[in-house]
Amino acid sequence: MDFFHNVIMGFSVALDPMNLLLCFIGVLVGTLVGVLPGIGPTAAISLLLPATFKTTPAGSIIMLSGILYGAMYGGSTTSILVNIPGESASIVTCIDGYQMARQGRAGPALGIAAWGSFIAGTVSIITLMFIANPLAEMALKFSFPEYFALMATGLIAVTYLARYSVAKALMMAMVGIILGNIGLDMISGLPRFTFGINELTDGIGIIPVIMGLFGIAEVLENIEKTLTTRTIFKTRVRNLWPSLKDWADSKWAIVRGTFLGFFIGVVPGGSGTITSFLSYAMEKKLSKHPERFGKGAIEGVAGPESANNASTGGGLVPLLSLGIPPNVTMALLFSALIIHGVQPGPLFIKSNPDIFWGLIASMYVGNVLLLVLNLPLIGIWVQVLKVPYNILFPLIVLFCFIGAYSINSSGIDLIIMMVFGIGGYLMRKFRYEAAPLVLAFVLGPLMEQALRQSLLISGGSFMIFVTRPISGVTLAIACFLLLSSIFPFIKKRREKIAELEEEE
Amino acid sequence: MTSRKTRMRSYDQGSALFWLLISIAVLARSLHYGTGALRNPGMGFMAFGASAILAILSIGVFLSASFAKDSNTEEALFSGILWKRVLLVVIILFLYASLMPTVGYLISTLLLMVLLFVSIGKREVWQIALISFLTAAVTYYVFSIVLNCQFPSGILGF
Repeated sequence: MDFFHNVIMGFSVALDPMNLLLCFIGVLVGTLVGVLPGIGPTAAISLLLPATFKTTPAGSIIMLSGILYGAMYGGSTTSILVNIPGESASIVTCIDGYQMARQGRAGPALGIAAWGSFIAGTVSIITLMFIANPLAEMALKFSFPEYFALMATGLIAVTYLARYSVAKALMMAMVGIILGNIGLDMISGLPRFTFGINELTDGIGIIPVIMGLFGIAEVLENIEKTLTTRTIFKTRVRNLWPSLKDWADSKWAIVRGTFLGFFIGVVPGGSGTITSFLSYAMEKKLSKHPERFGKGAIEGVAGPESANNASTGGGLVPLLSLGIPPNVTMALLFSALIIHGVQPGPLFIKSNPDIFWGLIASMYVGNVLLLVLNLPLIGIWVQVLKVPYNILFPLIVLFCFIGAYSINSSGIDLIIMMVFGIGGYLMRKFRYEAAPLVLAFVLGPLMEQALRQSLLISGGSFMIFVTRPISGVTLAIACFLLLSSIFPFIKKRREKIAELEEEE
Repeated sequence: MTSRKTRMRSYDQGSALFWLLISIAVLARSLHYGTGALRNPGMGFMAFGASAILAILSIGVFLSASFAKDSNTEEALFSGILWKRVLLVVIILFLYASLMPTVGYLISTLLLMVLLFVSIGKREVWQIALISFLTAAVTYYVFSIVLNCQFPSGILGF
């Protein structure tokens, strides 16, 4: 009975005219950033975060998560029609989606991408609804050692799933923890690493860091090459409704992609990009005709597109029930909730049922909006792609500045963003990844608190992390991940994925 | 072609040394803050641990790059790229970041847009002026007036 009551309450929140408008803006902006290469969902969420300050926490999270799953939808359009992925989770869709477009089957490719995303998105929301609450109740029994172990394992999992070297990814995680130390010490109240700069007393803000590492660095990387006009493959987009044969070929790919995407999304570091690659590899392996892959197999579009959408729902499980963001984008949603005075964690669902159930219901509504928006508006999205990058890049830069400045109205945030922008650009050149840094930056202060409190409880013994069952098992998993990353076949698989991403 | 090729390992060695220096600086600072005892960790405890791991990993990356096979070669990181353009844009952006709070949003943004369009595009002067003016005005209206973001008004009061 409680469950239905909560669902009805969620829909009353989601269908509130203001929240409905915010959901619409979120999915629209999300689709736009998904279509446009050069600005991803992470930068877009950072940019629009200040715009949500005047709204309620529920409205804010509804809009920001709309951007996230909207970007997953939008990315497929450019992958299929132009062979350019708007964001990294759609890279793998290029392989068969573009081939289908070249064979005059752009319509069914776009259609199955949209329907697959819709089905996967809906199933992942339902699964989230059933999993998050019991997990949160279980997490109420967790203490500091369990939290430290979970966060440490999360960080190690993120480095394990890094594109390049695990050692470099771990180094970035350490840099993130150090950066998270800047500001007042939570126990003594004294400043650390502030070097006399008053603005650093509260620490470095996450928005300038993300804007720099993902927005400015991306722009600098794009302008280092000669800017060419994107050539758009001329094809008539028709028959958006896939045929019965297309459905028959895709149905299991969608089912497998949905569950794979959801469960990989729950795992720390399990981004939409990784799930889409895994789904593609799985479909090719399970197919009776693997030779069709790369030549326009509809399963090669349906599986990855379903997987990357389902991963959004999966990523919300640890964020909302444990208060641990599993990837950078979720770290940003975590920060958004904190800014609004809401603490994600085991008590979140009980203390803020309107936000949790409102978000769930808004994701149903958002998925329907996306289906309605995407299929008829494909022509407009294709036109958007024709905007030359030399017009787009100054606008992206300006939006980054506005986003970084408007949080605190502070000039120092602009300088911080620029420092991280140049740092992020050099990190890309030297193959250091930004994701472990950002996640460690967000988790660092929480980890520090959990570690120091655990040691206080145990009287200085690290055995507290081993003797307690949950933290012991979790840390054993972390050790296994660290050790297994040196196995040659895992190294080869990682290099292969990195090569594929670079080629695209 | 071979002269343009540089070993990735030298980049790894260089970057590892950079991070090693950073880790040493943080180590020293965290010792200054005090690491405390294990049963009562001090405010430098976490930074000390993180920088120690960073130092060990930096040494590991440096050594692994030093003993890597010669076949691991790659195109030089900054060859074939328009680095002058990147440098110019970085300077423009730093200037904007430093001057915007003093000069004010509207004027500095107008200048930023003009400079960025000039730095990258082959557009007509009137196009650059129009797009820059519209961008500054529309973003000011949307963010400052509609969304109530606090933009600096600057020396001229707008």
